[in-house]
Amino acid sequence: MLRRHPWIFPASFLALPLLVYCTFVILPTLNSLYYSFTDWVGYGADFNFVGLANFEKIFTDRLFSNAIKNTAIWLALAMTAPTLLGLALALALQGKRTINTIYKSLFYLPICLSPIIIGIIWVWLYSPKLGIVNLFLRSIGLDHVATAWLANPNTALFAVFVAWAWQQTGLNMVIFLAGLTSVPTPLVEAAKVDGANYWQTLTKVIIPMLRPATVVVLALTAISALKSFEIIWVMTMGGPFNKSDTLAVFMYSESFRKFKMGYGSSAAVILFLMTLVIIVLYFRQTAAAEELYD
Amino acid sequence: MTKGEPPIHPIPRPLPQRAREGELIAWVNLSRWLGTALLYFVLTIMLILFMVPVYGAIVTAFKSQAEVSAGGYWTVPTRFAAENFERVMNPDDGNLGLYLQNSLLLTIPASLFSIALGTLAGYGLGKYNFKGDGMLFILIVAGMFLPPQIALIPVFRLMNDIGLYDTLWAVIIIHTAFGIPICTLVMRNFFQVVPNALREAALIDGANEYSIFFRIMLPLTLPALAVLATLQFTWIWNDFLWPFILTQRAESRTVMVGILNLTGQYTVDWGGQAAASLIGSLPTLFIFVFFQRYFIRGLTLGAVKG
Repeated sequence: MLRRHPWIFPASFLALPLLVYCTFVILPTLNSLYYSFTDWVGYGADFNFVGLANFEKIFTDRLFSNAIKNTAIWLALAMTAPTLLGLALALALQGKRTINTIYKSLFYLPICLSPIIIGIIWVWLYSPKLGIVNLFLRSIGLDHVATAWLANPNTALFAVFVAWAWQQTGLNMVIFLAGLTSVPTPLVEAAKVDGANYWQTLTKVIIPMLRPATVVVLALTAISALKSFEIIWVMTMGGPFNKSDTLAVFMYSESFRKFKMGYGSSAAVILFLMTLVIIVLYFRQTAAAEELYD
Repeated sequence: MTKGEPPIHPIPRPLPQRAREGELIAWVNLSRWLGTALLYFVLTIMLILFMVPVYGAIVTAFKSQAEVSAGGYWTVPTRFAAENFERVMNPDDGNLGLYLQNSLLLTIPASLFSIALGTLAGYGLGKYNFKGDGMLFILIVAGMFLPPQIALIPVFRLMNDIGLYDTLWAVIIIHTAFGIPICTLVMRNFFQVVPNALREAALIDGANEYSIFFRIMLPLTLPALAVLATLQFTWIWNDFLWPFILTQRAESRTVMVGILNLTGQYTVDWGGQAAASLIGSLPTLFIFVFFQRYFIRGLTLGAVKG
């Protein structure tokens, strides 16, 4: 504990960062809330305060309920597949062998690529005639499975998700690997000496010890799933027939294509509230975990 | 161990008979070896599948248009052609040079500014105690999780009002502001573990608070600054949404927005798209290869407690 300081010193260090942060992060966030009660169209200064009209309208908007449905599917997929795959890879590659180091590097290579570039590359992979996915399916005689993955309403959302998961899996693996370094080796050894097999050691010792890492992975995945816009925009623009239209895409289309800025703001506020739930849960979990480990 | 977890009881095993012991050990060794072999076989298959997109981008970028249109989309190029790269870099064609320049002019200052402001805030929160410091810290760190969508419309309007719309400055300012949370978090955690004895000794020697910060603390922060530099550079370079919203003309277009525009221009020209994608990924791939240690440290900060 430091002794009390005159407030002038911390204030002098914090003033400039806080000014920038409040002006360009906090203030716009509050402003969004304000715009969500207006009918602003994106240009000019005159707009009306419309109260809750935007929210009343949005909950009867078929496109909005469609976007919520797609977001729910996207979120459910995001929380499971890349998490489990990332965990499996981390467990398989945790040792110090040279081959593990090389494999790890290659699995997390996608993290340093832009979602724009990932989207562009996956569009070729899914190309109906020349894409490698369909070429492979045809070569093993599954011609009837081959489809126009991104143009087919039944597959578009899932096809985009696979491309997104390609990047997310590596990130989850990295976090789980960091978590694994905090699992004490003596504990694992003790379990083995006591006659536990690998599966028992994994489920009774390693996975419970990975709880903090798992909380981080799930929270980060959920938040980045909710806000992911770029990769969907590049690959399908939310189509076909809005089948891959998530809340983030809906918000963009309403605001910047249809110029219904007030209406788009109310979609942004709903997206923000969903994120807020995750943030609160996350902070409560980490606080609980800290109590547990201290 | 987690609370409430039952202790692991030893499972009694019958001891193997002496004569069979050698045989048993051989069996155990063989099955363990087979297990490892199977594991790496599965991992290798997964890795090959995982690398297909990367392989596709590389072979397509280095293939001539003639070879691509002859049907060789996924084959290894018969000769390495640079024509795709020339085409996308040509100012009268892809014009990627300008976009790369814009991205550098945006990413470098935005990374520096956000790290500088985060260092100041991190020091203020990490080395001083004052009323409400905990709340202030949470307020700043929560910004890390904020979806950009919530600020999109007001920032678009604000930048129009102050006349910065369609300039790189608009994007620089917004990335600086949105980078403050992560930079503050990293720097605060860093300053908290710097021993207080160091400051106190300097105070006794008559140094003032600011010379302590600049002369003693800043030089110590280099590893943390390296972590943040790799993170911020990668994120800002790869970002698309902010420049997409805040800029319009080609003169202020960043590389990711430029590349997406090119895919419209080069609809069937996969070679051009691939070459542009590779060029656009070079700076972050450079960080990945040479500063991976720092980058990974940054990604996993906060993932492990204690």
